[in-house]
This record gives sequence, structure tokens and C-alpha cells, in this order.
Amino acid sequence: MSQKLFQLTAEGVNKSFDGFHAIRDLNFHLEAGELRTVIGPNGAGKTTFLDLITGRTQPDSGKIEFEGVHDLGAMSEHEIYRLGIGRKFQTPTVYTDHTVAENLLLSLAGNRGVFASLFFRLDSTQRDKIDEILTRINLSSHRNRKAGTLAHGQKQWLEIGMLLAQDAKLLLVDEPAAGMTDEETVRTGELLLSLAGKHTIIVIEHDMLFVRQISTGRKVTVLHQGAVLCEGPVDSVQSNPKVIEVYLGRKHSR
Amino acid sequence: MHRLFFHLILFLNFASLFVQASPSASMVEKAVLLEDKTDEQISLLQSLEPDLELINLLTLWKEGGIFLFETTDHQKIALRLDGAKDADEKQAAFYLNGSFPKDTSGKPLRLLASDLNAAETDSDLRTAMKSILDLAGLSSPDKSARLQAVETLGMEQDPARLPALRSRRQKETDAQILRSISEAIALAELKSSEPETVSNACRTLGDLGSIRSQDVLKAIAKTTGTPARSAQDALRKIEQHLVYVNTWGTLFRGLSLGSVLLVAALGLAVTFGLMGIINMAHGEMIAIGAYTTYVVQCIFGPGLELSPFGFHLSFPSLQATGWFYDSYFLFAIPLSFLTAACAGIALERCVIRFLYRRPLESLLATWGVSLVLQQLFRLTFGANNVQVASPSWLSGHWTLNDVSFGWNRIFVIGFALIIVFCVFQLLSRTPLGLLIRAVMQNRSMAACMGVRTERVNLLTFGLGSGLAGLAGAFLSQIGNVGPSLGQSYIVDAFMTVVVGGVGSLFGTIYSAFGIGMADQSLQQILGNPVLGKILVLAGIILFLQWRPSGLFSTRSRSIDN
Amino acid sequence: MNTKSRTEILAAAALALVLLVFMPALNAWAPENSFFYVSNFTINVWGKYLAYGILAISVDLLWGYTGLLSLGQALFFSLGGYMIGMHLMLMIGKLGQYKSDLPDFLVFLGHWFLPAFWRPFASFAFAALMVFLIPMLLAKVFGYLAFRSRIKGVYFSILTQALTYGASLMFFRNDMLMGGNNGFTDFKFLLGGDVRSAATQRVLYICTGIALLAVYFGCRWLTRTKFGLVQRAIRDSETRVLFSGYSAANYKLFVFVVAAGIAALGGALYVPQVGIINPSEMTPDKSLEAVVWVAVGGRGTLFGPILGAILVNALKSWATQAIPDMWLILLGSLFLVVVLFLPQGIISIPSKVKGLLNRRKKPSDPEGRVLRPNAPLS
Repeated sequence: MSQKLFQLTAEGVNKSFDGFHAIRDLNFHLEAGELRTVIGPNGAGKTTFLDLITGRTQPDSGKIEFEGVHDLGAMSEHEIYRLGIGRKFQTPTVYTDHTVAENLLLSLAGNRGVFASLFFRLDSTQRDKIDEILTRINLSSHRNRKAGTLAHGQKQWLEIGMLLAQDAKLLLVDEPAAGMTDEETVRTGELLLSLAGKHTIIVIEHDMLFVRQISTGRKVTVLHQGAVLCEGPVDSVQSNPKVIEVYLGRKHSR
Repeated sequence: MHRLFFHLILFLNFASLFVQASPSASMVEKAVLLEDKTDEQISLLQSLEPDLELINLLTLWKEGGIFLFETTDHQKIALRLDGAKDADEKQAAFYLNGSFPKDTSGKPLRLLASDLNAAETDSDLRTAMKSILDLAGLSSPDKSARLQAVETLGMEQDPARLPALRSRRQKETDAQILRSISEAIALAELKSSEPETVSNACRTLGDLGSIRSQDVLKAIAKTTGTPARSAQDALRKIEQHLVYVNTWGTLFRGLSLGSVLLVAALGLAVTFGLMGIINMAHGEMIAIGAYTTYVVQCIFGPGLELSPFGFHLSFPSLQATGWFYDSYFLFAIPLSFLTAACAGIALERCVIRFLYRRPLESLLATWGVSLVLQQLFRLTFGANNVQVASPSWLSGHWTLNDVSFGWNRIFVIGFALIIVFCVFQLLSRTPLGLLIRAVMQNRSMAACMGVRTERVNLLTFGLGSGLAGLAGAFLSQIGNVGPSLGQSYIVDAFMTVVVGGVGSLFGTIYSAFGIGMADQSLQQILGNPVLGKILVLAGIILFLQWRPSGLFSTRSRSIDN
Repeated sequence: MNTKSRTEILAAAALALVLLVFMPALNAWAPENSFFYVSNFTINVWGKYLAYGILAISVDLLWGYTGLLSLGQALFFSLGGYMIGMHLMLMIGKLGQYKSDLPDFLVFLGHWFLPAFWRPFASFAFAALMVFLIPMLLAKVFGYLAFRSRIKGVYFSILTQALTYGASLMFFRNDMLMGGNNGFTDFKFLLGGDVRSAATQRVLYICTGIALLAVYFGCRWLTRTKFGLVQRAIRDSETRVLFSGYSAANYKLFVFVVAAGIAALGGALYVPQVGIINPSEMTPDKSLEAVVWVAVGGRGTLFGPILGAILVNALKSWATQAIPDMWLILLGSLFLVVVLFLPQGIISIPSKVKGLLNRRKKPSDPEGRVLRPNAPLS
């Protein structure tokens, strides 16, 4: 057991829904500070994998550990969140009836107890942090707008901003580029790259251009039918015949 | 008091008198005319050999159906009235022997019951009559009359009855009555002065598991000697039998309550479970079915006049009697379904279709509808319960080894199974069922595939409401029908669906029977219906801790929680 | 936003001035036949309305702000009433029909001694404590169970309905020793004063008004803290709240318990003013009636529920006199109309009218569109 300590380990994880085997015997290891892209065709179990990490569903068997000590399978969503695992959903989920600033405020790191929130006052460092994030995600001019009225891409950024406000150690980002213009996609990629190193990040993505942008020189994991098909640098993965068969064979035209 | 004076010549109809020469009739007439001399009446009646004629006449007399009539020459005669009433409410008069007197003009005499004095009976006479009737009942050709006579004699515990009972035991063929006769004999023997006979009687009663002899046996068990020990043994056996009877009784009541819940909740399982609409007016859909049954019954019977809001509504009467009247229920069943389905469709069109994506609002809006409907029932049919008479083929019960099964309850169980089967067939075997399932799983997807979701919603809601109407037709047979009928079932129905797992018809079946059984068993154990119900509610809340989405959850990978 | 909240404060202050100062003053000092005189009856009726206003706020705190449609608020309301009722029953003393120290119904049931759990209620302070303690404890236990197992949306409504139904069945029973069917009535004294006297009623009325005001400002504060933000976030997207690291269950439990306490306070003030409490106050239907007030007034605001409670009850007072047969039909239809056509209640009418006027001026302005918040789905 003198191996390197992984930030996130998943070993022998299985999960099925009404007979459908979504995740089978999945093994996954992630080092701290890594930016890992997970790709795979539809139904490969990518989103289910994130659901398992964030406690939205529990594994049937196997173990998912965070920092080698926390067994995520036995914890509830908010407890897992408080460990420092944040998630951006596939479809943007922000608080539509709250303003942009309030969305960030709700995500700020800090005590999340009932009484703490009753007597919560925004101090100056927190105020600065919100301002800084707003600039970073390009929403400064919209701080008092209701989040529900933002454009699709802006909502995606706001959600990433909420992850930043949270100071999460591990960011789970599900299809951040979906529905964005090319320019927005590039900006999103830059944003994610600037976060790598400080945060550990898992990105799930379909768009191979985007994948190439963020994972050059990094590891890519290919999921297929609920298990890891192969893992490695993006170029070797893309030239792997197995991968081409199940996934890129249909996508390489992009 | 209004009195009629008739000038009439009494012809004695010799022929008929001699043809029907039954000694009973003339003796009873004689007894009737003795009027106040009770002792003589009793001894006269007791001297008679019991036959059918005697039974009929004594019964009639006891019920005040024999009248004293004074002729113009101040001679008193005994008469009975029979046949249809005419415009003046008069009926044809008969002598007790069946011939009829004529008035002065030679026409059969017709009299008004209220003008006559009934032949009186005092309590001694009535007691004597009853014991004569009971004895006579032993040989009655009617099974239930015979059984009742045996049971009455048994409770009398009169050793003087023993010969009659024993002789009946030789002739009796019916097993249930034979058991009752043995019980009655043993009960009478308990009064014997010989300890041996008493002990044997105790043993017999114990073996029979005779519930009604418990009190007597307890008295004997408190004494000393062999009979006391036998009585104690017998009591133990009876206790065991009682447990057996109660268990089966509870099981049956649980089953029948379960089917009531199932019938009431099935419609809800469709509207709430499949469509996800909280229809608080579901209870009122049940009430619509019940009131439809009531109206159909009234049309078959005496007709019905309603005047809601000053309008006058009159339903014609078919004046049906006998089997034709009894068949009203067969017409009421489909009509209840149709009325409730129409009401449901109207509700869907006017209110619910605007609220498919807002379940909490649909709860509130339909509650408003339920208030309006309840008040409409009150204004139309009155605030009190209306009388729905069960057809004769649904009343009565079937007793097996002291456990009694009501026909209406058995019918509800059977009916519940039939409609569940039909709904399953409808949903899984018909094109409509396929559409319904498709729309309920994914509305927008189904719409994209060219399904007319609006129409499917409409039909599904109509189906659910129609099922509620059916429930109403059946609940009218086992409970009261009033404006708040629906309210008494709505909480239970929702609980049934929630516990079963929303969206699962199978779950609804299991949970209906589970809740029914739990309710009845708790009632039996606690001896208190309200406490049982409260415990069931508490149990349900705890159950949902363990299984938050009910027995059969339809959880899947869908992101939407 | 700011001017709107200022108007609301101003309206509340004006209403408070009229209801809390002018009305009682006119009741006490205006000559009885003058135009300005406010009759004892009016004071009594308005006292009732204000108590209902408190109940309405408790419903709104759950439904309007947190998306929890509780059908158990009538239960907490009457529990509060029952607690103060127990004290009032003991204060009758020997003035009851049976001339016994025991409440009449206990004598009637053949009791010779006061049951142990009744004894401490002779102290007003204890009763006042119980007014809050018992309903909040019940709310805590039930809420803990319900929220722990993630029961939400309509399931929560159905379950609270069942809870209320079960409790009313229990209170209908005589061996609960809480007055059974008839409940408590014929109160005589409260803190030494004659409950039926005009002076006591006036004091009770003023207390109710002050309580309502306190509850209003308390909730106003609550909904403006970060807690309030989380609360509304739960209403709009509970799953997202969990993924923001908040334990939605704890937050909901807290609001549920607070709302139970508020409802109980309303009940405790209501009972001495109407002079009776019985299990028929405890039915799910009563809870739904309170929901109507909130819906009519405007949920998700604090002023709306108060307005709704007063308006609907004034309508009820009039209708049950003038057209008794039609009242329930009226109530039901009112509900239908509000849910279908005015989901934000009458308090939204001014801004709707304004929006309509604006739209007419510049018909193609996309910002003029009335934004509907995400419906609080299951």
C-alpha cells in the first residue's frame, strides 16, 4: 500500500437500473490537480458515473473513495459536496428565480448549517470573491439579473462560476460546451485550463475539438458500456482501433 | 273514532268451510273470540297440534293482523284482511278459514284496517304463542325458519323441549341445523340434575365450539364437581374455536376492506399514478357513481323528484317489483361508470388540462371542484344520506362454521378482481392502452411520434373517473350514500396509491389488501376501530421511511426526480 | 424592487395603525351611538381575522417560500388552541354545570380526579409554553421522518393530510380526555379577567394584532437572510440545492417547525376570542381553506396572505349570512379562478395592470414579458 495517494479512486463499481447494467466493474484513478477528460458514446455510463460520485445514486457493489478516506457510496449529496466535490450538470441548472449574484452567494464556501445561514453577513473578502468570479465568467454586467433570463451559454458559465465560488477540490463538469458558439467554447476551454492544477477536474465531453483543446498532453479516459475501454494521451486514444470502432468510427469526421 | 255500520246478512259458506276443514282455523277463531280470558286462550292454543295453518294464523295474530268485527246483530267475528288496497285503501276481508263474508248487496266485504280493532294480545299470551311457534318452527319447511326455531329453543334451556328436539334430530338432514340441534339439546341438558348428563353436555358443547353457550358454561365452571371441570375444558375449546372464527372473520373483513380500498383507489391509480394528477375531487367522482345508482334505483322503484336551484327535475317511475326491480343494479353499474367518466372528462377539459405541469396547483384547483360538487350534491339530494336498498341477491350472508360472509362483501371482492383484470387487459392488450402507457411515460416524445396526447389525456382521465364511479356504485351497497361520501374514502385511497408506489397498478393491489388486512387485524387486536385506523396511518408514515417511493417504485435512470 | 418593498411596508404600517390603534380606541372611547363607534362584535370578528392572518403566514412560509404545501397547518393551529383551551378549562373552576373543580366533560366521563397531564395547565405560563412546544415537537418528529426520506411535493401534502386526519380522529375520541366531539367551550376567565367582557376581548384583539405584526416582521427578516435565499432555492430546484452542499432536509425541517409554531400562536390567540375549540377545526379541509386565503392574497409575499385571510373571511362572514347555500360553491369557484387565472394572487394585480399598460406602449419589448418562475415541481 505504498502507492501514490489518489484524489479519487473507483474500484470494481457496478450499478444497474431495472436490469440495465449502466456501470460494470469500473476502475478509475485520478491524481490531485489532474484535468481528466472522459469521453464515450451515448449510454457509456458517463453521467451515471458522475451520479455515483456525487451521491445521487449509490453503487450496487464496489467502492468509490475520495482522498483515500471518504467512502462516497455511503454519503448523501450535501455531505459529499461539503468534502469539496462540485458538479456542473449536463443541462445548466442554476437558481432561475435568484439573481446571478445570489446564485454565486449561495455557492460560496463556508458553513452551510441552518443557523449559520440565518445570521450570515457578506464580508468584504467574499464580496471581492464574487466580483472576481463575475469578471472571470464575463457576467459582471448581469449581476442583478435573474439567472433564468440568461442565455444558454451564460448559464453554463454561471454554473462553472458557482463551482469556483465553492472552492471545490474536485470539479465534475458535464458537457460544458454543449449549446455554445465556437467562440464561447474556446473561452470555456481556456477557463478550464486555467483551473487545472489548482483544482482536480473531470470533464465529460462529446465535442472532439474541445477535447483536443483541453486535453493536449493529458490523459483521456474512454468509457464503453459502463467500463473503461482504454486510457491514455488523446492522440493514442484517438488512434486506438477499439476506440475507433465503438466511438470515433462514427465521429472522426468532425 | 270513526265507525262504520254495515247492514249485512252473513251467509255461511258451508262448502268452503268443510273443504278447508282445518281444526286450527276454527280453534284459533275461538281463541281470538275469548278476548280477555288469557289463561283459557293459552290452554286452548297449547292443546293444538302445530301445523302450517296454526303458524300462519298465530304469526298474523301476534303482529296485529287479526281483527274483531262486530256485525249488526252485535255478534263478534274474527277477520283478516288481504289483497290489494283499492282507492279507499280498503282490502278484502276473510274469515280465518279462508272463506269470505259478503255485505248486504252480496258483494265480498271490503274493510279499512284502521276502522277495525285488532284482536289484542297481552304479554303472557304472546310468550305462549312464541313458544308454540318455536316448537312448530322445528318442522317448518323453510330452512332458515327451522334454524332460528332451533336456536331460540336452545337459548330457552328448557328440558321440556328435549323430546321435540330429539325427534327433530332423527328427521333433520341439514348439517348446519343438526349441529344447532345438538347444541340446543346440550344446552337444555345443562339444566339436568344429574352431574353425569351435565358433564356430557358440557363436553358436547366444547366439541361443537358453541359460542353462545359461553355464559352458561362460565356459570357452571364456577361451581364445584365434575360438571365444573368439564365446563372449564369446554370453555377452553370454545375459546380456541373463537380464535379460529375471529381469525377467519378478520381475514375476510380485511379482504373485503382491501377490495373496497382497491376499488376506490384504482381510479386514482390511473389519474394519480399514471397521469400524475392529484385529483382531490376523486372522492366526489365516487359520490357521483353512488348517486347515479340511487337515481337508477328510484327510477326502477317509486320515481324521484328533485328540485335543485328551483328547477324541477322529475324522473319517471317504472314501478318495477320482484326480479325486475332487483336487476336495477345491473343497469346502475354501467351508468355509474358513464356519468362519472363524463364528469371526469368535463373536469379535465375545464380545469386539469391547464395544470399538467403544476401538480400542487392541480391539487388545489380540484379541491375547489370537490367543494363545489359536494355542495351541489347537498342542494340536489339533500344534506342527509339517501337510502340505497341492496337488491335481494346482494343482501343476506352465508355462514360457514360460525364465520359469516356477507354476500355484498363477497360480491365486492369478486368485482374488485374483475375490474382490476379488465383494467390490466385494457392497458396491456389494447391499442388505447399502448397509447396511454406511451403518453404517461413521455408526453412530449409521444406527441412527437404523432400521438394526439390531448385526446389520450382526456380518455385516461375519463377512464380513471369512470372507475371511481364504479367504486361509487359498489360502495353504495355497503355504506351510506351522502354528500360527503367521497371525503371518507379520499385519504385512504391516496394512501393506498402512495404506499403501493405511484405508477404501479400491481403496487396498488398489494397495498390495498395490505392496508385492509392491517386495519382489520389491528381493529381486532385493539378492539377499537379508530385506534386501529390511527395506527395504520402512523404505520404508513413509517413504511415510507423504509420505502420512500412505495412498494413498487418505478425508478429509472431518468434525471427528472 | 426597492420601491415595491417600501410601498409594502407603508401599507402594512397604515393597516397596523388603523387596526391596532384606531379600532380599539374607537371601541373603548367613542360614544356607542356615534358614527365612529366600533362595536364589540366588530372587534371580535376582526380579532378572528387577524388570528387567521397569522395562520395564513405560516401556510405561506411553507408553500409560498419553500414549496411545501402542508395540509397540517390547521392541526398545529388547533393544537395551539387546545393547549390554551386546557388552561381556560381549568380556570372555569366550580362555575361549570357540575359545580366541580374538574372540567365538565371529565365529570361527565366519570372521572373523579384531574388526569396528571392536565394538572400543570393550571399555570398560564406552562400552558403558554406548551402552545409552542407541543405543535413544534410534533412538527419536528413528523418533519424529520418526512424530509429524511425525501418525501416532497404532493406526497408531502398527502402525508400531512393523513397526519391531520389521524389527529382529528384521535381528538374525536373521548378517552383522549380532550373533550372529544365537543371539545372545550364555556370559558370564563383568562388571567383573572372575564373572557367574555369587552375589555378582555379588546386586549386579546390588540395582542393578536401585535402578534401578527411581530410574525410579519419576523418572517420578513427570515426571508431576507441567506436562509431565505436557500429556502426559495429549495422551492425552485431542490436537487440543485443538494448539489450546492445544503442539507435541504434540515432547512425544510427548520421552516416546518417555525411555521408550526406560528400556526400554533394563531390558534392560541384565536380560541379565547371565539370561545370554543373542537376537533372539527383540525380537518385537512381547514388547512386547505387557509391555503385559499394565501392563494387569493398572493403567495410568496408576506402581505398577500394577511390580505387574503381578511378578505376571504369577510366574504365568508357575509356569504354565510346572505347566501348560506352558495358559500361553499363560492369558495370552491374562488379557488379555481385564482389558481387558473391569478396564480400570484390579488397582490399581483397592480403590477399586472402596469405590465399590461407598458406592453401596450411598446408592444415588441421583450423585457416587458411577465416572467414566470419555474413552477415548484415535485
